[in-house]
Amino acid sequence: MSNLEIGIWSFPVLLALIFLRVPIGVAMFGVGVVGSVIVNGTPLMMLAQLKHLTYGTFSNYSFSIVPLFLLMGQFATVGGLSKALFKAAEAWMGHRPGGVAMAAIGACAGFGAICGSSLATAATMGQVALPELRRFGCSGSLATGALAAGGTLGILIPPSVILVIYAILTEQNIAKLFSAALLPGLLAAAGYVLAIYVIARLSGAAGSPTERMPYGDRFRMLLRIWPVIAIFAAVIGGIYVGVFTPTEAAAVGAAGTGLVALLNRGLNRQSFRACILGTMSSTGMIFLIILGAAVFNTFLATTRLPQELSVFVATQALNPWLVLVLVLVLYLVFGCVMDSLSMVLLTVPILFPVMSALDFGLTPEEFALWFGVLVLIVVEVGLITPPVGLNLFVINSMAGDVPIGETFRGVMPFVATDLARVVVLVLFPVISLALVRALY
Amino acid sequence: MKSAVERLAVWTALAGGLVLVALVGLTCVSIAGRALSGIGLGPVPGDYELVEIGIGFAVFAALPWCHLNRGNATVELFAPLLGDRLNRALDALIDLAVLAMAALLAWRLAVGMLDKKAFFETTFILGFEIWQAYTLCLAGAVVFCVVALWRAGESLAALRGARA
Repeated sequence: MSNLEIGIWSFPVLLALIFLRVPIGVAMFGVGVVGSVIVNGTPLMMLAQLKHLTYGTFSNYSFSIVPLFLLMGQFATVGGLSKALFKAAEAWMGHRPGGVAMAAIGACAGFGAICGSSLATAATMGQVALPELRRFGCSGSLATGALAAGGTLGILIPPSVILVIYAILTEQNIAKLFSAALLPGLLAAAGYVLAIYVIARLSGAAGSPTERMPYGDRFRMLLRIWPVIAIFAAVIGGIYVGVFTPTEAAAVGAAGTGLVALLNRGLNRQSFRACILGTMSSTGMIFLIILGAAVFNTFLATTRLPQELSVFVATQALNPWLVLVLVLVLYLVFGCVMDSLSMVLLTVPILFPVMSALDFGLTPEEFALWFGVLVLIVVEVGLITPPVGLNLFVINSMAGDVPIGETFRGVMPFVATDLARVVVLVLFPVISLALVRALY
Repeated sequence: MKSAVERLAVWTALAGGLVLVALVGLTCVSIAGRALSGIGLGPVPGDYELVEIGIGFAVFAALPWCHLNRGNATVELFAPLLGDRLNRALDALIDLAVLAMAALLAWRLAVGMLDKKAFFETTFILGFEIWQAYTLCLAGAVVFCVVALWRAGESLAALRGARA
C-alpha cells in the first residue's frame, strides 16, 4: 500500500472509531500515531515528535486565547447580564406579536457579543427567558426551539471560539474574521426574529405580547446593559485598533465579565468554583481535539494526501460553486451527528487548501474570510438539528415538561432561516466582506 | 476510591483554573503598564512567556477533570443500537485507549523534559528554565494517567459485572 493510500484509508478508519463512540480527539490521536508508525516503518519518528508536540501545542500563544474566552463566557453566565439583556430587549420588542420570543432572540444576540459559546448562551438565556416565555403563553415547542436557535448566536456573533480556531488553522487575522462574521451574525438574529413574526401571525403559538413601554423606560432599560456594550467594545475594538493581541483581548474580556459578576454579587465561592470547573472541562475537551488534530494532520502531511488532493481538484476544471455547495452540504450532514469544533479541526486543514485553489473571483484573503463565515454557519446548524443537536437537549431539559419531539418541531423554522442565510451568503460574498473592506 | 480520584482531579483542575485567573490579572496589569509607559511604567517583562507556560499547565490540568466527567466530545449516534453488553465492552476498550494515550503523553513529556534539562534550554526574556515548565505539566499528565487508570478499572468491573 502506498503512503497516499494509507492516507486515504485512514479516513474510514477514523470515522468508524468516532462512530463507535471513541472520543474524537482520542480517535484522531490514535489514527495519527498508528498511521505515522506504518508510513515511517518505525515508531521512532512519532516518539520523537511527541516529546515536544504536546507541550508545544498546549502552550502555543495563539491557542491561549481559547481558555480565556471560555472563562470570559463562564463569568458572563453568572454576571446577571442575561437578565438585564432580556429586560432591555423585552422593553423594545415585547409589545409586538411574538414580542417576548423576539426579545429572547435579541437578548441571545447581545449575550453572544460577550460569550463565544453556543451552549453557554443557550443555557444562560434559557434560565432567564424560558419562565417568561411560558408566562406569556408561548407554546413549549416555540419557546424551546427559539432559545435553542438563539443560543447559536453565541458563536455566530463574535467573539467566537470556532472562528478563533479557524483563524489559527488557516493563518488568518482574527480581527478581520470577527468583522467578517458580524453582519452575517446580525442577519442570523434578524432571520430568527422574522421566523417568530411569521409564526406569531399564523398561529397563537407565540403567546400574548407585553404592555407597550414608554420610550423613557425603554432607554433606561437599555442603559442597564452598558457593561455588555463596554466589554464588547473593549474586546473587539481593542483587537481591531491593535492596542492588544487577541489573547490579551480575551483576558480583558474575562476580567470585565468577572468584575461585573463580582459587582452584581453573582460571584461567590461556589459559583466561582463552578465557573472554573466549567472552563476547565471545556478547555480539556477542546485541547484534546486540538492535540488529536495536530497528530493526525502531521501524519496526513507525511502521506502527501492534502497536497495531492489540492492538485487533483485544481486540475479537474471543476465548477468551483458546485464544489463549494458539496462541501457545505457535507458539513451540514456531518453536523447532524458531530460537534462543530471537531469538524472544523478535522476538515479545515484538508479542505481549506483544496477550496483555496478554486477561483471564486475573490482575493485569497477574502476567500478565506468568506469561507470561514460559511463554515461557521453550517457547522453551527448542527447544534440545532436532531438527533444530536446539543442546544436542543439543553433547553429541552431546562423546560422540563416539553417532549423532545416538540422541541425538534419547534426549531425547524429556525433551521430553515439558517439554510436560507447560507444560500444568501454564498450568493453574495459581499455581505461577509463589506465590513472588512470598509474597516481595513 | 472514587472520592479520592475525584478530589485529585478537581484539585488539579482548580489549580489550573486559578493559574488562568492569575494570567488574566497579569495580562491586564501588563496592558495597563504598557498604556502608561509615558509615565515610566511598562509591561510586565516576559508576559507572553508566562502566559504560554501558564496556559500549558492549565490545559494539562484540565485533561483529567474532563475525562473524569466524560466531558470529551463523542458521537453517540449508534450507541442505542448496540445493546447493553456491546456498549459496556466498548466503554472498557475506549477507556483503555484513553489510558494508553495518557500514558504515552506522560512518558514522552517526561523524556522531553529530560531533553530540555540536558540542553539547559531557557525562555527568551525571563531565562526561565523550560524543563521546569515541563515538570509542572507532567504533574497534570500524571493525574490524567491516574484518572484514566481508575476509569478503565471501573469500566472493566462494569463489564465483568454484566457478564456474571
